[in-house]
Amino acid sequence: MSAMLLHKEKWSEFTGKLSGKNLWAPAVQGEMKKFARVAEGQTVHLDEDNTTVPPKALVFPQTETLCRFSLGQTDLELPGLDEEMVLLGVRPCDARAMALVEKLFRWDFEDPYYLERRERTTLIGLACNEPDLNCFCSSVGGGPASPEGLDILMSDLGESYLLEDITEKGKALVEEFKDLLEEAPADAVKQKEQLVEDAVAKIKWNVDPEGIPEALPQLWEDPLWEKVSAACLGCGICTYLCPTCHCFDIQDEVEGPAGRRCRMWDSCMFAEYTKHTSGHNPRPTRRERTRNRINHKYSYFVDKFGVIACVGCGRCSNLCPVNIDLIDILRQVKAAR
Amino acid sequence: MDLDKLRKTAAEIVSRDDVKYLLGWRRGTFGYRVAPYFIEDAAGVDELIFSPLCISNLATYLTLVEKLPVPRGQEPDQRKVALLVKGCDSRAVAQLLVEKGIKREEVVVIGLPCPGMVDRELLAEKYPETEAAAEVKWDGEDFLLVGEGGETAIPRTEVLAEKCRLCRHPNPVISDLTIGEPVEPWATADDSGVAEIEAKETAERWAYWEEQFSKCIRCYSCRNACPLCYCEDCILDRLDPTWVNRAVNFSENTAFHLARAFHLAGRCIECGECERVCPAGIPLGKLNRKLARTVREEYGFEPGLDPEAEPFQAGYKPDDPEEFIL
Amino acid sequence: MKNHDNPYIPYTATVEEAWNETGGERCIKTFKVILDDPAVRDSWSHRPGQCAMIGVLGVGESMISISSSPTEEGYLRFSVMKAGKVTTALHQLEAGDKMTVRGPYGNSFPVDDWKGKKILTVGGGIGQAPLRPIVEYVKANLGDYAGLTTIYGARTSGDLCFKQEFAELEKVDGINCHLSVDLEEEGWPHYVGFVPSLLMEVNPSPENTIAITCGPPIMIRFVLENLKKLNFADEQIYTTLENRMKCGIGKCGRCNAGNLYVCKDGPVFSYAVLKDVPEAFA
Repeated sequence: MSAMLLHKEKWSEFTGKLSGKNLWAPAVQGEMKKFARVAEGQTVHLDEDNTTVPPKALVFPQTETLCRFSLGQTDLELPGLDEEMVLLGVRPCDARAMALVEKLFRWDFEDPYYLERRERTTLIGLACNEPDLNCFCSSVGGGPASPEGLDILMSDLGESYLLEDITEKGKALVEEFKDLLEEAPADAVKQKEQLVEDAVAKIKWNVDPEGIPEALPQLWEDPLWEKVSAACLGCGICTYLCPTCHCFDIQDEVEGPAGRRCRMWDSCMFAEYTKHTSGHNPRPTRRERTRNRINHKYSYFVDKFGVIACVGCGRCSNLCPVNIDLIDILRQVKAAR
Repeated sequence: MDLDKLRKTAAEIVSRDDVKYLLGWRRGTFGYRVAPYFIEDAAGVDELIFSPLCISNLATYLTLVEKLPVPRGQEPDQRKVALLVKGCDSRAVAQLLVEKGIKREEVVVIGLPCPGMVDRELLAEKYPETEAAAEVKWDGEDFLLVGEGGETAIPRTEVLAEKCRLCRHPNPVISDLTIGEPVEPWATADDSGVAEIEAKETAERWAYWEEQFSKCIRCYSCRNACPLCYCEDCILDRLDPTWVNRAVNFSENTAFHLARAFHLAGRCIECGECERVCPAGIPLGKLNRKLARTVREEYGFEPGLDPEAEPFQAGYKPDDPEEFIL
Repeated sequence: MKNHDNPYIPYTATVEEAWNETGGERCIKTFKVILDDPAVRDSWSHRPGQCAMIGVLGVGESMISISSSPTEEGYLRFSVMKAGKVTTALHQLEAGDKMTVRGPYGNSFPVDDWKGKKILTVGGGIGQAPLRPIVEYVKANLGDYAGLTTIYGARTSGDLCFKQEFAELEKVDGINCHLSVDLEEEGWPHYVGFVPSLLMEVNPSPENTIAITCGPPIMIRFVLENLKKLNFADEQIYTTLENRMKCGIGKCGRCNAGNLYVCKDGPVFSYAVLKDVPEAFA
């Protein structure tokens, strides 16, 4: 790993040059902030707030074509490979989420759509100096400068950015930009470490997940589930905008003679999600659905992959229109143990 | 707001044998958040609040809460649901009665005259939320923010929710009892807040909605939060036939929102929940208010005012106007 | 994108024969299909209990148990109840039509571990479809097992699947067949009553026996109860689960019962495992 400095006066040159590489960076669209394509030559402005829509939407698009066909024919045409892309300003939590979800998409059957897109994506992260109100990454195994999932980690030192390459892909990109960079002095790395320490101290919400994965199966019938789900609207906000949620639906769509099989985000909070054709629903109310959402993240994923499928980005708590707060649920789980 | 009186009344109601629970609000877990609150016993009323942050429409839960089949050998629970309603919320109750979505004997309606609610996002823009739950109070015409940093007076116009600015029915239109004195309606003109969009050229207007609907992520929060979107089998969920594809794109999103808007014409009571819950900030309130005004102007009908009214979309008169239909 | 190893891309297959097993609104139709690509056909191998995603392009896919035994070579059989959009489209297929097939998916009945044991299947309605491959497999390898008893019932005789096959099966030495209908019916020579009652009537000994059951949830519940009454140990009881599925390969997330994905960890479970799984019988 090398540590390089990018002086901010070279920032617009840096991003301008990067923009030739199919560059995506956070941009505001109405109330929503999400990653958008950076026009060539354009400068990127990074600020403290994370995006509403996590960058998972770029490697796991909300709707994607699995194959195309003509009605009455049996030939299946696969979609072409996406162009390689660079994501700039990815928060460590969101990058870590991609690394976690990758475990699922690699498990047994490899998912070529996710994995190939992931392989063709370079993630340049931005460490968080100012955690958001609902952040709790350091509680669940991450941190404001967690490198997991990133190719390059960037830290804002005020006058300059510190660039640390994490992967070979990152190293190659740093090498390509070496004319704009200079070797980082030891105190720059020290300064970054101090910033990380300060950022962790600024995190408002802390919950020690120790014991939660083991407790959840014991609390299956606990009255807490009814309590925490009573106000739930059963909408898809908490899951769609969660960087680790990865559930999808598959549907065939036909227009004239042309058809495609596609997959799209789905949500375990929807009643339709588990409903059998017969009308029977193994999860008939919001209580069972909420319980599944929490169990999936904090118990089932742990059983399968040894890690909690939550990166503490705080989106679900922040964006829920009826204040269903994950931290609050976790605390209730701990209290009910 | 006389909170003590509200809590005392709530405790009495929730203690009744024929009441299952009382739907109110309580302080949220942080910042300016307020959560819908299901109170099952008198002890629960201590957390009950009514403040300018209690913007959500609790009537939604009258139809949202699942009705499971009664297990064999058990009697169905026929106790009533008590709920707190502002002016707009009470219109949802009235409209549900019109449509026979609920029965009058199933609910105890506690009316709360409403001086107007705060738009939480506007407030947070000016006074950022902190981890501690803050309080907002009515202070004459204006609002008072009570937080860690003491009290801050906030002029009404700075943070009043748009739907409240346009509101013509701040007093409950239906209730079993009312707590608090009626307020004088402030919006005298029939303004739907859509003049700016109406003034656009067709192409410009199309571009506006194209941008708006393109942002939709189809989380269905607008539909689920709507007190009058309560079909058990929503046409938009149906796959056979598929009326709206699951694919998320401008065309399907538009089909979704327009289908919903038309299903709500003459039924929408302008509580603004659709727009409030939308994570993408799509101005769904404008869309629904435009249709609501068309119904008012062309048919002289306003939903959710009279629980005995004939449902607007179910009625037909030979002289119904049609000249505005394209 | 590369086609090979893409688990979402189905094979195409041709319906060789199709016939109705039962009538009525929710009728059951059986398809005998042949995979189109000879190389795929040769390399295809499945075990009793496994499933496949079958479908119609332009409509969609459904997870259906493979109702043919691996001992029936060269073709696959699926028995499909007409219920939703995809199964309705499948029901329109006749000999010569194309369908898509992905799989085989999931685990299977541990037929090798069961060698030397008596096999008891208890099925109801369409639930006999996943049991059929065991029946056929044991029949084809009868020397390896200590006997086979099948108990199968449906609402009426018109709702029973594989009637002709049961008639043949009864004639085989070492195989006992018991059929039932729920309601009294003229000319019905067999048992009248529910499957769990027939099970008690047959009164199988648990000794050296494996019981496998599949059918409507309510039937499974009472069969399990009765098997316990007959002193079957949890480890001697197996069932197959069915949940809504989309991918079949453990990605799409919806088929889980507790921490188990029915599509990958199942569909076959022993009761010893299942009794502790929340949602297993939800």
